[in-house]
Amino acid sequence: MPDHQLIIIGGGLSGLAAGIRAARFGLKPLIVEQHSLPGGLNSYYFRQGHLLETGLHAMTNFAPPGLKHAPLNRLFRQLQLSRKEFTTHEQIESEVIFPQTSLRFSNDLNLLCEEIAVRFPAAIDRFRALVKEVDAYDPFAERPWQSARAFLRSRLADPLLEDMLLLPLMVYGNAEEDDMDLGQFAIMFRAVFLEGFFRPSGTIKDLLELLLAHYKHFGGEIRFRAPVAQILHEGEQVRGIRLQSGEELFAAAVLSTVGIPGTAEMSGWPLQASRYTGRMSFMETITLLPELRLPPERSGKTIIFYNQKERLAYHRPSGPIDASWGVICFPGNFHGMLHDGPAQVRVTNAANYDLWRQADEAEYLRLKEVCGQQAGAAVRKILGDCCQHPLFQDSFTPLTIERYTSKCAGAVYGSPVKIKSGKTPWRNLFIAGTDQGYLGIVGAMLSGVTIVNQHLLK
Amino acid sequence: MTRDDIKYLILDIIQDIDDEAEFDNLDEDKPLRDQLDLDSMDFLDIVMELRKRHKLQIPEEDYPQLATLMSCVNYLEPKLKDA
Repeated sequence: MPDHQLIIIGGGLSGLAAGIRAARFGLKPLIVEQHSLPGGLNSYYFRQGHLLETGLHAMTNFAPPGLKHAPLNRLFRQLQLSRKEFTTHEQIESEVIFPQTSLRFSNDLNLLCEEIAVRFPAAIDRFRALVKEVDAYDPFAERPWQSARAFLRSRLADPLLEDMLLLPLMVYGNAEEDDMDLGQFAIMFRAVFLEGFFRPSGTIKDLLELLLAHYKHFGGEIRFRAPVAQILHEGEQVRGIRLQSGEELFAAAVLSTVGIPGTAEMSGWPLQASRYTGRMSFMETITLLPELRLPPERSGKTIIFYNQKERLAYHRPSGPIDASWGVICFPGNFHGMLHDGPAQVRVTNAANYDLWRQADEAEYLRLKEVCGQQAGAAVRKILGDCCQHPLFQDSFTPLTIERYTSKCAGAVYGSPVKIKSGKTPWRNLFIAGTDQGYLGIVGAMLSGVTIVNQHLLK
Repeated sequence: MTRDDIKYLILDIIQDIDDEAEFDNLDEDKPLRDQLDLDSMDFLDIVMELRKRHKLQIPEEDYPQLATLMSCVNYLEPKLKDA
């Protein structure tokens, strides 16, 4: 007789959502989390009295309460959480800045359309037709890989507009280099341009505490500081897990949210790990400032996506980071947010995992310093000197990401090849989360929900 | 359970699944999904709640029998007669 009906490896957002779903219908799940806090990639830590979030810039998939079919509201129904009591703050306005031109967008698609009409007049009708096409596309149907770039080229016939639209979508969710699967593109296009950015009120800590309390309310159990060493199996079935402490726990089914490579390592799943290891990782620098003084043309922006070269180079850089393109996020610049305490700026740039991995301790610290300066210089070109004299600054590198999130090679968007069915070679071992193909916080949670629905509740 | 009890049970379950559900103009003989704007994930929850509350196992091939409020009552009446 197994100890548990379901063991979930990983207390990130997909694991928590899967746990709530399973517990709600009486499966008595156990979540095992390697760290002392939940959240995985979207967690938090404290430095000098400040709570700092690790992943969250903004949530995508904004939907007001009442739109029943919107992913966000669907997710809340599935988790039996009240959407009406969940306070959200929509983005003010974001901008994609290239050397040639820039495009502003908000959660109202009209702004992006007006911008395109002004800057790409020949493409506006084609863009409107593209919106309709993406809106009608079913990204969850199983189909072979198709190039989003080829699709955009044939629909828009404008390589610059194509790059400018792809930058936010790629940097917030693409595990592949240079191109992306059309299905993933459709998910991201809807999540960012059709639905939009928002933040929950409070911090990620509040959201995680809400989910955890809800999970426990339904009878779910969670163990922190419980890293898994091995997934135990016998024939076609898994029997449970062995923790690094040596303790063995048996379960009728196991759901892994640690990604395909991590799951393979724990289970001995014979697959070519390199194929499932993403190459896109990032360095992120958080700066706290006494106040935010943006130049007038950038004031009130929520997120700036910038590229300082002619074309977008969405791939692993040859140096430790590539500061020529990236994201600048102002987590305080959302509608209706209260401003107390210092202002925050987060800058994200693509980084080369291998170079960070190879560095010894002294070199690692030197790289952090040098890359921080490179990122700072790139930001100055756009924002002027607004980020000087910080109260506090801290950076994450691909190694920090790998250590704290089980994302193999620090690849925040996981494997470039997804396993949409969530199935593994074992009948009762499933995967959920980023490597199952849903993206973002809402996506990760929907992944947990969907896999539990499909494989464990029916 | 009487037929009315079953009707209220189903409505209670739907209320639980979707706190915005409105029953004022519900036609008992028309599909619940269309009238209440439910999707397949919500629909699965009706089945799951019946299992949780009354230990009823409803096989997937029987799901169509839960399409309208009246068909739910007809289908569940013999199963819940002693409940």
